[in-house]
Amino acid sequence: MMAVFDTPEEAFGALRPVCVQLTKAQTVENVEHLQTRLQRVSDSALQELQQYVLFPLRFTLKTPGPKRERLIQSVVECLTFILSSTCVREQELLQELFSELSACLYSPSSQKPAAVSEELKLAVIQGLSTLMHSAYGDIILTFYEPSILPRLGFAVSLLLGLAEQEKSKQVKIAALNCLQVLLFQCECQDHPRSLDELEQKQLGDLFASFLPGISTTMTRVITGDFKQGHSIVVSSLKIFYKTVGFIMADEQLRAIPKVQAKPAVEHRVAELMVHREADWVKSTGEKLTILIKKIIECVSAHPHWKVRLELAELVEALLLKCSQSLVESAGPLLKALVGLANDESPEVQAQCNKVLRCFAERKVVMGNRAFADILSESLHSLATSLPRLMNSQDDQGKFSTLSLFLGYLKLLGPKVNFVLNSGAHLQRLSKALIQVLELDVTDIKIVEERRWHPDDLSASPKTSATQPWNQIQRRYFRFFTDERVFLLLRQVCQLLGYYGNLYLLVDHFMELYHESVVYRKQAAMVLNELVAGAAGLEGEDLHEERVETSKEELREIVTSVLEEYTSQENWYLVTCIEAEEMEEERMLKESGLQAITSGAHACQVPSFPAFSKPSPTICSMNSNIWQICIQLEGIGQFARALGKDFRLLLMSALYPVLEKAGDQTLLISQAATSTMVEIGQACGYDSLRHLINQNSDYLVNGISLNLRHLALHPHTTKVLEVMLRNSDASLLPLVADVVQDILSTLDQFYDKRAASFVSVLHALLAALEDQSAPPKVDENDSRPDVEPPLPVQIQIATDVMERCIHLLSDKNLKIRLKVLDVLDLCVLVLQPHKNQLLPLAHRTWPSLVHRLTNDDPLAVLRAFKVLRTLGGSCGDFLRSRFCKDVLPKLAGSLVTQAPVSARAGPVYSHTLAFKLQLAVLQGLGPLCERLDLGEGDLNKVADACLIYLSAKQPMKLQEAARSVFLHLMKVDPDSTWFLLNELYCPVPFTPPHCSLHPVQLWGATGQPNVYTANVLHLLQELPGPLLPRYCGWAGPALAEGSGSCREGCKGGVDNRSML
Amino acid sequence: MAAPGHPPPPPDPQFVLRGTQAAVHALHFHGADEVQGHPLLFSGCQSGLVHIWSLRTRRPEAILDGHGGQCVTWLHTLPQGHQLLSQGRDLRLCLWSLAEGRNAVVDSVPLESVGFCRSSVLAGEQPRWTLAVPGQGSDEVRILEMPSKTSVCTLKPEQGAKLGMPMCLRLQQADSSPRPLLLAGYEDGSVALWDVSERKVCSRIACHEEPVMGLDFDPQRARGVSGSAGKALAVWSVDGQQALQVCRTHPLTNPGIADLALRPDRRLLATAGWDHRVRVFHWRTMKPLAVLAFHSATVNCVAFASNGLLAAGSKDQRISVWSLYPCT
Repeated sequence: MMAVFDTPEEAFGALRPVCVQLTKAQTVENVEHLQTRLQRVSDSALQELQQYVLFPLRFTLKTPGPKRERLIQSVVECLTFILSSTCVREQELLQELFSELSACLYSPSSQKPAAVSEELKLAVIQGLSTLMHSAYGDIILTFYEPSILPRLGFAVSLLLGLAEQEKSKQVKIAALNCLQVLLFQCECQDHPRSLDELEQKQLGDLFASFLPGISTTMTRVITGDFKQGHSIVVSSLKIFYKTVGFIMADEQLRAIPKVQAKPAVEHRVAELMVHREADWVKSTGEKLTILIKKIIECVSAHPHWKVRLELAELVEALLLKCSQSLVESAGPLLKALVGLANDESPEVQAQCNKVLRCFAERKVVMGNRAFADILSESLHSLATSLPRLMNSQDDQGKFSTLSLFLGYLKLLGPKVNFVLNSGAHLQRLSKALIQVLELDVTDIKIVEERRWHPDDLSASPKTSATQPWNQIQRRYFRFFTDERVFLLLRQVCQLLGYYGNLYLLVDHFMELYHESVVYRKQAAMVLNELVAGAAGLEGEDLHEERVETSKEELREIVTSVLEEYTSQENWYLVTCIEAEEMEEERMLKESGLQAITSGAHACQVPSFPAFSKPSPTICSMNSNIWQICIQLEGIGQFARALGKDFRLLLMSALYPVLEKAGDQTLLISQAATSTMVEIGQACGYDSLRHLINQNSDYLVNGISLNLRHLALHPHTTKVLEVMLRNSDASLLPLVADVVQDILSTLDQFYDKRAASFVSVLHALLAALEDQSAPPKVDENDSRPDVEPPLPVQIQIATDVMERCIHLLSDKNLKIRLKVLDVLDLCVLVLQPHKNQLLPLAHRTWPSLVHRLTNDDPLAVLRAFKVLRTLGGSCGDFLRSRFCKDVLPKLAGSLVTQAPVSARAGPVYSHTLAFKLQLAVLQGLGPLCERLDLGEGDLNKVADACLIYLSAKQPMKLQEAARSVFLHLMKVDPDSTWFLLNELYCPVPFTPPHCSLHPVQLWGATGQPNVYTANVLHLLQELPGPLLPRYCGWAGPALAEGSGSCREGCKGGVDNRSML
Repeated sequence: MAAPGHPPPPPDPQFVLRGTQAAVHALHFHGADEVQGHPLLFSGCQSGLVHIWSLRTRRPEAILDGHGGQCVTWLHTLPQGHQLLSQGRDLRLCLWSLAEGRNAVVDSVPLESVGFCRSSVLAGEQPRWTLAVPGQGSDEVRILEMPSKTSVCTLKPEQGAKLGMPMCLRLQQADSSPRPLLLAGYEDGSVALWDVSERKVCSRIACHEEPVMGLDFDPQRARGVSGSAGKALAVWSVDGQQALQVCRTHPLTNPGIADLALRPDRRLLATAGWDHRVRVFHWRTMKPLAVLAFHSATVNCVAFASNGLLAAGSKDQRISVWSLYPCT
């Protein structure tokens, strides 16, 4: 290990020879010798000997005459080494070294930077930088006195030249860094003290002379070749804004006296000095604005995000420090910032938002009249050109324009009303929004897509409930395809709603909504977002002093918009071609609903053009579909905006939305369903069922009023149906009168609307049947002389069953089927009330017989089901009727048809006759069991069905026949057993005792026949011990008793094995 | 532009209140609640319950049960304080305190007549007020000073007048005179004007052939109107000498008026018909303006709110609320 020279004495001893040597012979080797020695000298010792050691090096530099570059380079490097280990304590030395180093790069002959090697340039730049860092304490400040101006200026211009013109990236960056050091912008940790005000001013005065040079050069570098690398641009931007921000700082300029103090320097230097008085500031500001605009124009679209990030920093620094001196640049600067707020890089976005927030906190914009004016003006002019831009730009262009617009809105905050209050500008703005939001309505699928499960309201919400609201239906716009543009548009509208005067805006867009069907959808979209925005923003609010729309005001506004949306003209639009229905509705509509109640809704909107055209086009229907969807979506957004307050609006909103949930058009029903979910969540209901159930009074109100104009509201019954499916017993007292209305309406329209009514009745009865605990009638209430009034549900079921009697013979099969279902439910509900049920059953009977004996197979089957249900409560009544009126006919037809089906080919199963046979066979079994038929009638059934056990019959009929016997077995196992054995007896019967008469059964031929398979199958199913049955059977034979008892005893041992 | 052959559809109620689960026999609007400007609506029904409906939510806010399941025939609120009077066929007239969400009977007046005759109140800003109720004898009207329940007098027609039972009452006080007057409709179809302090009939007119079921009076024009079980409305006036005079009668399509009411701005008259219909007339000219067909059973009562809303209560258990020609 080499010895270290700790003390100055030792060091001096070691260094002296090499210094002497170097002074004598200025060679690279000697410099290297010195440097090698130096490395073994301690810093403290070196500090003592600094001047001594520097001497030979400076001597070498100063020696006149041409020198080799290599030598200069090594000298500079050695010098740099010394400076990095020591500090310069004398101002004079500092100045001299500065000049000597600077001079290394200058060729006095050409008056230009010398054409030297890159290495030398780097070494000198490094040396200068190190020198400035080695200045001890406040020495550095005394260095920056006016007298240094020429020398400093020389160095600055040298470095600027290098930064701009040098080819080597390394040199460029070094030069830029060194510039920063010279200009007090160095970011390293070695400058602990910050400057006081006076010092700043002095420096500012000094640097002001360099401003033109630095700013123009930096601008040239920044706007230069994209390929030069982002770090150069970043550093240049930094130097630009730090220099400008320092020299043009409002704080400094404020302290500048009007008249320049006479500087205590020689005339030559004084001429170089700049006095930063008002005129200078103004003219400089103007020049800088040009440069800043150039920079922004070039850099805001720079491909590297770090450059754009630096631009954001630039805006922040300049706007914060120079808001007055650079007031003319404020517009472009803000625009740049706002434009970057939606940058694709998250870092840039974050920085911009930070800056925006910081501006808001410090009230840079709002507290500054000039800035606010500039912003308003920018927004004004943007609003003015917006329609044109939206028309001409591509998606990307639209995106940046709208981003900019959004940024202005964010920055302006509540002051946006200055712009909105100008009618012309609001007009422009709304025109642009309406124009760009125009939907593409040519897609034919929209009209065609149909909902397939009309009753399935509760199934869909689950899927949509999990989706956030933002998952709105995909829309197709005429003028753009980029989803982000739509997102921006929504944000713009929300911000307007948030900061703007909501009354003014809603009024304005409502007017547009009314003005033309061409605007209506867009206006509704805007209205929806305005309200959503007014309720609060998803993002953050940059301002504190926003005038909030109160809950009451918001509710008022929503109420009026809602009223418009759901009005007759805007809610009941043609969305599909139902020509006749349409015609009827149109007539009614045109007759006008201006009865005396219309006072409250005096605003009559001109009727939708579709009504005046003979047939609506696909486009107009699509347009209508979208309008309804948008309005539905809006109602959902309103609910979200109002939260629980929306409950007060349910009385008018719930009915129309539920009505649309049952719409045939897929898109509409989807939108309505998610709106329902939205409403449910906003109002705090656990489920759709809960929502409907808790508000059924409002629904009932709508239903009962609309039932009065059924032709106008043909979907009323649908709503009632959905409501019934989703509610419980508590609803009954409410619907009782509506049911009466329904029934009396049905009585008027048997022919026309029976189908929809019957489904309502079905839903109604299903609801009644569902209610396990009917509301109890208070016993105390009943007086002895009067019969207690019937429970509501019994009264309803009675009334409905009454109607079923008529409808059972409707000519439409679908209706007959549905009626049979309703009838079945009626019977179930009425079961405990025989006094009501029996007379009705009696009256229903003839019609029911018709269904059983003379109807479509489907009806036959359902009629059987009704009979079965009926059998549960009035078996006696039914049994005799059935056996008398129905059984003979059915049995007869089974018997006559059997040979036909036995001979028939495979096509037969498609015939009506086959289906009828099947239906009767399938229905008979359970009914016989339920009715508990007597032996004679059972035999009738069995006889008619036996033939169908033949293997020649179609398989399905065999199966059905087997099922009949399976039921018969349950009623009378013995006779069934006998009957089957008569057909085929698998085992010969041997009496258990010889005293018993041997049994001879018809089927006991032992020969398999057509019945064998089915009989065996059935016998296997027959339960119970055989013996008692056998004895019972053999009983009469015993009296005649004679013959082979021996055999009988033997057979009796295992008589069960035959089963 | 009504198409020929398509008359304008009948007007609809603005909304319908359901859930009383019994025939509605009494209706009364009370002011407007401070927050939203919606009045409260009180309804009394066959089953003895009084429903207090919020017209903001269209739902009952409270249900009062104070008449032992007997029909509530009359409801009235007092101008000061949150106090409600309810008359029931359980022979009780209850005074309810509704202040601060309370729903309690604070006092009651025993009645002596089980008829359907509704009481009447004369109340101003003073704490004392006057109450007229059907009296003990079948033809008597009792006047009480409230809230002390002091019996002031009993108004009994002179011997041999044979007016029958009082059917409807209306206490009235002319601006000029402090003396209270009572208008009473009787079973024989006559309307009598009583001077309460003198306990004598000032004037009487036999304007109906059937029992008088309801009457209302317009003090500004000194005119009143009465309806009966018969087929006509009678409009009569009271002159300076307190003499009743029939001005005109207005024939009805179907007989039977259960109740009638003048709108507070005295522009409209509404009648509750046994024919299930509410009829609206222009009060000054008695021109029929509308027939409101909604109910499916007898309409028992009608009431107007100060903001012009009309409510009708029916045997069909529903209360229909109508927004007619707006108030001016």
